[in-house]
Amino acid sequence: MNKKIGQALVVGGGISGIRAALDLAEFGYGVTLIDRAPHLGGVLTQLDHQFPTNHCGMCKMLPLVDRDKAAQFCLRKGLFHDNITLRLSTEVMAVDGEPGRFDVTLRQAVNPVDPDRCTGCGECAEVCPVEVPDAFNAGLGLRKAIYLPTPHTIPNRYQVDAAACTRCGACVDACPTQAISLNDKARKDFHILVVDDELIVRDSLKEWIEIEGGFSVTMADSGEAALEALKTRQVDLMLTDIKMPGMDGVTLLQKAGELFPDLTVVMMTAYATVETAVEAMKIGALDYLIKPFDPDALIPKIVGIYDAVKTPDEPPLKVGSIVLSSGSAFYDPSEGKDTLGYGQLPDVVTQLEFERLLSGTGPTGGHLVRPSDGRPVGRIAWLQCVGSRDLQTDADFCSNICCMISLKQSMLARDKARQAGMDLDTHIFYMDMRTFGKSFQRYRDQAEESGVNLTRARIHSVVPDLTQGDLQLRYADMSGRAEECHADMVVLAAGQRPPLGTAAMAELMGIGLNPWGFPETEPFSLVHTDRKGIVAAGAFTGLKDISASVTQASAAALNASRTIHEGGGSLKLESGSAHEYEDLSRQLPRILVVICTCGERLKPVADPRLLTRHLKQDPAVDQVLFLDRTCTAEGWASLVDMVRNINPNRLLIGACQPYAYARKLKALGADTGLNPRLMDVVDILSSIQGREGEPEAFQAAMIAELRMAVARLRHADTSAVPGVPVTQSALVVGGGIAGMSTALAIADHGFPVDQVEQSEHMGGNLLWIKNTLGGHETAGLLSDIRSRVEKHPHIRAHTGARVLCSFGQAGHFLTSLGTGEETVENIEHGVAILATGGREAVPDGYHYGENDRILTHRELSEKLDAGDIRPETLNTVVMIQCAGTREEPRNYCSKVCCGAALKHALALTDIHPDLQVYVFYRDMMSYGFTESYFTEARRRRVRFIPYTKDRKPEVLLEGGAVRIRAHEPLLGRDIEMGADLVVLAAGVVPNLSADLAQSFGATLDGDGFFQAAESKWRPVDALKEGVFGCGLAHSPGNIPESIASAEAAAQRALRILCHALLPSGKLTADVRHSLCALCERCIEVCPYEARSLDPEEERIMVNPVMCQGCGACAAVCPNDASYLEGYAARQMLEMIDAAMGC
Amino acid sequence: MSQAQSKTIQATGTTSSDLAEVRDMVAACIQCGTCTGSCPNAFAMDLTPRHMWRMVLMDQIDEVFQSRTFMLCSACYTCTLRCPRGLPLTEALSLLKQRASRDDLPCYRQSTRFYRRFIDSVRRHGRVQETTFIALYFMDMTPKHPLLPLKYTPLGLRLMRRGKLSFPNPFARAGGQSLESIFNKVAALEEAV
Repeated sequence: MNKKIGQALVVGGGISGIRAALDLAEFGYGVTLIDRAPHLGGVLTQLDHQFPTNHCGMCKMLPLVDRDKAAQFCLRKGLFHDNITLRLSTEVMAVDGEPGRFDVTLRQAVNPVDPDRCTGCGECAEVCPVEVPDAFNAGLGLRKAIYLPTPHTIPNRYQVDAAACTRCGACVDACPTQAISLNDKARKDFHILVVDDELIVRDSLKEWIEIEGGFSVTMADSGEAALEALKTRQVDLMLTDIKMPGMDGVTLLQKAGELFPDLTVVMMTAYATVETAVEAMKIGALDYLIKPFDPDALIPKIVGIYDAVKTPDEPPLKVGSIVLSSGSAFYDPSEGKDTLGYGQLPDVVTQLEFERLLSGTGPTGGHLVRPSDGRPVGRIAWLQCVGSRDLQTDADFCSNICCMISLKQSMLARDKARQAGMDLDTHIFYMDMRTFGKSFQRYRDQAEESGVNLTRARIHSVVPDLTQGDLQLRYADMSGRAEECHADMVVLAAGQRPPLGTAAMAELMGIGLNPWGFPETEPFSLVHTDRKGIVAAGAFTGLKDISASVTQASAAALNASRTIHEGGGSLKLESGSAHEYEDLSRQLPRILVVICTCGERLKPVADPRLLTRHLKQDPAVDQVLFLDRTCTAEGWASLVDMVRNINPNRLLIGACQPYAYARKLKALGADTGLNPRLMDVVDILSSIQGREGEPEAFQAAMIAELRMAVARLRHADTSAVPGVPVTQSALVVGGGIAGMSTALAIADHGFPVDQVEQSEHMGGNLLWIKNTLGGHETAGLLSDIRSRVEKHPHIRAHTGARVLCSFGQAGHFLTSLGTGEETVENIEHGVAILATGGREAVPDGYHYGENDRILTHRELSEKLDAGDIRPETLNTVVMIQCAGTREEPRNYCSKVCCGAALKHALALTDIHPDLQVYVFYRDMMSYGFTESYFTEARRRRVRFIPYTKDRKPEVLLEGGAVRIRAHEPLLGRDIEMGADLVVLAAGVVPNLSADLAQSFGATLDGDGFFQAAESKWRPVDALKEGVFGCGLAHSPGNIPESIASAEAAAQRALRILCHALLPSGKLTADVRHSLCALCERCIEVCPYEARSLDPEEERIMVNPVMCQGCGACAAVCPNDASYLEGYAARQMLEMIDAAMGC
Repeated sequence: MSQAQSKTIQATGTTSSDLAEVRDMVAACIQCGTCTGSCPNAFAMDLTPRHMWRMVLMDQIDEVFQSRTFMLCSACYTCTLRCPRGLPLTEALSLLKQRASRDDLPCYRQSTRFYRRFIDSVRRHGRVQETTFIALYFMDMTPKHPLLPLKYTPLGLRLMRRGKLSFPNPFARAGGQSLESIFNKVAALEEAV
């Protein structure tokens, strides 16, 4: 077992939290991953499908190298990694210390259900009388007060909703394993003193607290009486009014505090004296309650205080660094001035609610019906920018992903309708369709081709049409005509909001917030907060799609790791000696079969004697034992005893939910010395439900299942797959900001880096980009990073050099560099990172190159910086966006051009406020918080004129003068103007040649950018392990985005570099060379490029680290020479026999 | 509209400075069209609200003063409430109305004189006195629109039948000094602006 030296805390277990935790864990650190929700996965637990594949794919985040450290199964079901401690329903209470040495106090909410006893049978929920809106289904549908947080977590344990529970105790009696304890006595022993001069307040509080809370209450009518009461009896909590005749509440607080320093006091106050209450908190009050009390809010608050007082403080957790990934919340349209019917009309739903309606685990079982009356839906309208880009809701920002979500939902809904044989009308009303991410534009095109209507219009309100029984929307079309449309359902794209408690968390952590309440990061970083050692990831800094979240999470992990490293946490993994197990391969198999009886459930469907007889027919089966509830702590303890006493050399457990046993089997192995690879768990119980009536068929299926597992175990092979030695150094191709960032990130962790830059200077595009849209100068960033790279003892820079060729695989590459004509240098390295950058495209059309008044944004930028263009001498400047992009052949958004146009428009009008600036655009991509610059440009009367692909503005040359003729769709007229400058947004093209990518085994996407292994879940990895891409070579992006992808690539590379010998997975393919005919079909078919032909040995080689055990090679091999460990032919045939009942 | 569509605007970038205020009020417009969608009177307008604001921003102010759009605003404030930019649209419209009234632009006289006579009547009588108010209004309008009274006749008759018209002494003054001073104060304030 590796001893983990560094420790990190990840706050928030959504997708970015999981990514950051896995990255840090794979690097060898110990990670505590917490979430305040009782489940893992954040908002993604509620979303089944993601664009652009319209599928899930979360499992693609699982470790690929050293992958047996984690359980390899669906991440929605749970996350298991040897180095990750998962704590749910947990929050951070305090953070002390300094970067590298933080002391963090955590508090876990008390769940009355004991997870070691709960089997998830659900009998408690059946009897629970309380129903509340189901949060998992975004409030659609109801659930009980005792509930499963998600339907799919494994093991799935019930949870009590403390705010809803009435403590009736029905569940306690119903639970067959006595797992629930409401602890009535402990509450009765908790004494609360209520001090108020008004009898009615005292009385009603006493009643509420005693009946609904189950606590003991005494009352006092004045401060003096309260002090007397305190002296006569033990009081745990005092609730005191502030304004009372005689001694007031604050004086009482002071006096009581002197006498009983440990007493917890909560102030009660009318709204008018809230300030006094806040003052009281400064002198020792814990909290305050505002009158009049809402009993629904009061009891949970008192229960919270009770839990806090009664739960002993945990010893502080020592961590080197903290990653904040608490996700994002959504705007509630019912709170706005313009509710669009949300909250009143049941057929108006938010995007999240619609996701639940699409889901098979949703309130309608995935049937697309109207929430109001259950009738099938024929027309759906999506309304964009609800609570985004709306100054009336204090949202001068774009929420980044709603456009893509609406496109996705419209396509999913159409698919669903088509499958049901129905016609569905889908209509998206948008302001700008923001498809700025990699491949997003093509996704939009795909949606439009599939029949989704897109209309550029904003809907002002949704009204019910009583005659037709549907919803009516009115909008203005482009010409200004008012149009009407009807829909059965309206989906609101509710914008991002900071999650609840962000302000408090920011104060606790000592980090700053931006004007909209999201964590502020440093100007050139997406992850650095203003407290060193605390980094932010994912949607916590503003909603983002999965690939951006995952990239940012890896970058956050990298920077967290940097802090831990700087703080003294050693990077060396302590001896890689995994637990050594006895080699049992020569022994005859003696299989112990343990079958879980699951309470009384197995009895009616299976006869233990018959089962035993059948299984024992196989001589490999030594004993068959029955055990009640293997999943509980007690059940497991007796299983451990059985293994100890019987000492079998193989173990088969017949139970349910095999996933849940991953961690337990490892522990059992360490405990008993039996190799976990000789253990297996099969699911025989989960199919009982509903089959109680047919015991014979059920029993036969169960026997077949168990015998298959016996056959598999009998042939289980424990021989170790050799690891791969790693050359612990990296090659970075490219010396721009991305290349330098990634090189520094790796070198800072103590690994040598060779950095290749083909020009004579490092710096890339930063050599000409002098400032950013945010008004930050890049000179400091460039000189700082350049000098760090130059001085770094671990970085060897090769400027003026090119990669000639490279071959090799994860762990060892050999690359030849050419410097000048003849010099060739060979470099050995373990990983390669392609950061070759990108450049501004050369515009085609618009008379570019024919007149020096027509130029690109880069040229404008350079001329402004050089003083060649003086804004005060200009009258009219015209900018044309998407000059050559977002249509074939370059059908992608370059992401940075709209920002550049805004930057230049603002810079020009800064100097010359009366300058006429016209911007012709298709969709302004001022995503995220850059929307505020768009607003500012509008305020300055920069004129933005939309155009379409088939009606572009024309540039006319008249002698030396330049004129623009274009259509103004809002006025419905043609307009014409003279222009002193025409600035073309030509977009970004990558500097990544196919040859270069090919030599490392990477591939390019259709637009020439680095092809990611998976655009969402593995955004910076190439499909071939050990090769990574970042910066502009990967996808267009601004400086912070490029740095984030660079740091993410570094983090992914470090997972490999940190091993001297990279452990292989259990399930890997190999070749019987004597049978191999070298037909090379297996090489072609391997999706991970794990196979290669060794020309000298004339053998097919398999890199066991890159091999993911998919078995494609074994299937394609005509000679049976390729095979997959653990799936030997004999084993498989015996399993098939067992399954067939032979 | 067809005539307007064929016309090519020469974007010149000049706007009479007294309308700069209106222009600045709507500068941050993103042309989303929510104002048009929400306007209950849009059906009667020759230029719908977004179209008109676009003209303002494109310095086509002269044409704005040929349309009846802003005069048709009934100040319901729906567009102001719904505008995602929070622009003071209703206020901007009333500035346009004021300009039309102050300059006594001929094409809006039917409306501006109506307002003016209405206020005159209130000033004189302390409330609107329908008969005198309409008589004064007709006096203003008949030189150019001799048939206007006929247009109003059916409405007048209907109102009379319902007893909605009063016939008090047209020369009686009410309100006295206090009302007068309110009017004077408003006039002084407007002067100051």
